[in-house]
Amino acid sequence: MSIRICNLPFNSSFAPQPRARISSRSTRVFARTENDTQQQLNLSVLRFTFGIPGLDESYLPRWLGYGFGSLLLLNHFSASAPINEPQLRSEALGLSLAAFSIALPYIGKFLKGSVVEQRTLPEEGEQVFVISSNIGDSLKEDLAWATYVLLRNTSTIAVLISVEGELCIRGYWNCPDQMLKAQLHDWFKKKVDEIGLADVKETLYFPQYEGSSASWDILPNGTRSLFVQPLIQDINEPQKMDGFLLVASTAGYAYSDKDRAWIGAMAEKFRG
Amino acid sequence: MEARIILQIQIPWNPNRQSSRRPSLHLPRSFIRASSSTSQKPRSYKGPKPSTNLVADFISSNDDLARSLPIYVGGASLLAVLFNRTVSGIAPVADASSSQSRADLLALGLAVTNLLTGLVWLSIRPKSITPVNPEGVDCKVVDSDLPVSIVSELLWAWESLKVATCCKSLVIVYNGICLIQIGMVAESPQDKKRVIVNTDKLMQGSVYRGVMKSKAQSYLANLSLYPGRSELAFLPANTQAVILQPLGDKGIAVIGGNTIRGFTSSDQAWISSIGEKLDATLGRYFIDSAEGSRENY
Repeated sequence: MSIRICNLPFNSSFAPQPRARISSRSTRVFARTENDTQQQLNLSVLRFTFGIPGLDESYLPRWLGYGFGSLLLLNHFSASAPINEPQLRSEALGLSLAAFSIALPYIGKFLKGSVVEQRTLPEEGEQVFVISSNIGDSLKEDLAWATYVLLRNTSTIAVLISVEGELCIRGYWNCPDQMLKAQLHDWFKKKVDEIGLADVKETLYFPQYEGSSASWDILPNGTRSLFVQPLIQDINEPQKMDGFLLVASTAGYAYSDKDRAWIGAMAEKFRG
Repeated sequence: MEARIILQIQIPWNPNRQSSRRPSLHLPRSFIRASSSTSQKPRSYKGPKPSTNLVADFISSNDDLARSLPIYVGGASLLAVLFNRTVSGIAPVADASSSQSRADLLALGLAVTNLLTGLVWLSIRPKSITPVNPEGVDCKVVDSDLPVSIVSELLWAWESLKVATCCKSLVIVYNGICLIQIGMVAESPQDKKRVIVNTDKLMQGSVYRGVMKSKAQSYLANLSLYPGRSELAFLPANTQAVILQPLGDKGIAVIGGNTIRGFTSSDQAWISSIGEKLDATLGRYFIDSAEGSRENY
């Protein structure tokens, strides 16, 4: 067990002074903050680590909570009766502390600067890229570019853009293979109509998507985050094109405020 | 990283390919129009509604309080254990002989865990930097020779940057012409109007040359430390951060922000994608117009 303090070239806004006797090493950490740069997010922080690679120490309070909580219960039931009151009090205190410790990693996930989960690609299934043939070339190019950029710049694995009923689908989807492109487009259109996504009036964000009714099975297995952005923002502008933009990811809480702002900006492009 | 490579191999972005793909079903246009008119009204949405997560909302809005919460909990329970011992008249001896001691020791261990977690959380708190309002005049100047589609694309780029990042000024220079100057602009001291972009001076300056040579985005996170500041005289004097995005090898987009280190890595990635798109659009327009003018001779 060691306390490792990582040294930092600049950005002394982060805390404590490194102690001389502890060896310093620099780490690269990808954190979600409002003010960071990608290269060298070397932070001067107090990190507690076992030094075992691949072990996530931020879940340590949870394991300690489970471990100590079960030891408390063991102690309680192996004690000779009658158990006096002070012991009951300290056991109650210990159990509530254990419950709080178990919840700590969950709370830590919502703090600024927490590490975002990386997306994992689905093992089975192929990538599809289907674009409607009933639209002009410039719109096709815009759709192709927008879907490519969404897949590259966010942790999206599947994206679907619908502009006035014409779809562009890209990424990993749960669709029947061995289907021709035009049939695939119509199949997606049918599924989307069943769900009624064109009717959505405001943005929908599901950061912990667990699976849903039958029509949603077009989403790939392992989808954890889902975000739907309609193109129409208010009903007072009927001449604007309607449609929606749907992105899905296999990481939970994948779309931060900034990601959603950018996805909204992408949707603006197709509002016409 | 592996994911990105897979995506790049399997999905080459080649817009020309799309137009040459033959659809296998040739349905006559009128038929398609008829079928779409029958489904005018979209079916109502049947699906899950997003639920509000009270814990997440509370923690996101009270970040400092949530960070110090484990420390208070750990400290309070430490004191409570000692208090319990003294009140019940048992000597505060830390050995594992009686079951009371064992329970106390376990509770102490958990309290210490909470304290340390609180300390770790406090130490990784990101420093919040206040934005600085740029001093200047608000302006929106677009080159008048551009067609509507290009203008709408440039305005779309500006709206996206304004909404999603800390950008407050945008200047795009392409082919030696300043195409758009929008947002907050420096005020010239003589006539109290906006400072016009001197494209020759910009393109001969070291800032432009450096960016064109490296062909990569340049992020000046703290503009006041940068010596080439004088070449960007059209930006407000107290612009905090600047991103210089090359548009191919013919143009540059200068994006000014109001916070030091205000552009995150995700912003940088999005801006370079938008830069590529603008370069494709503008390049095509300028090539077409160059060919058009050549034909007229």
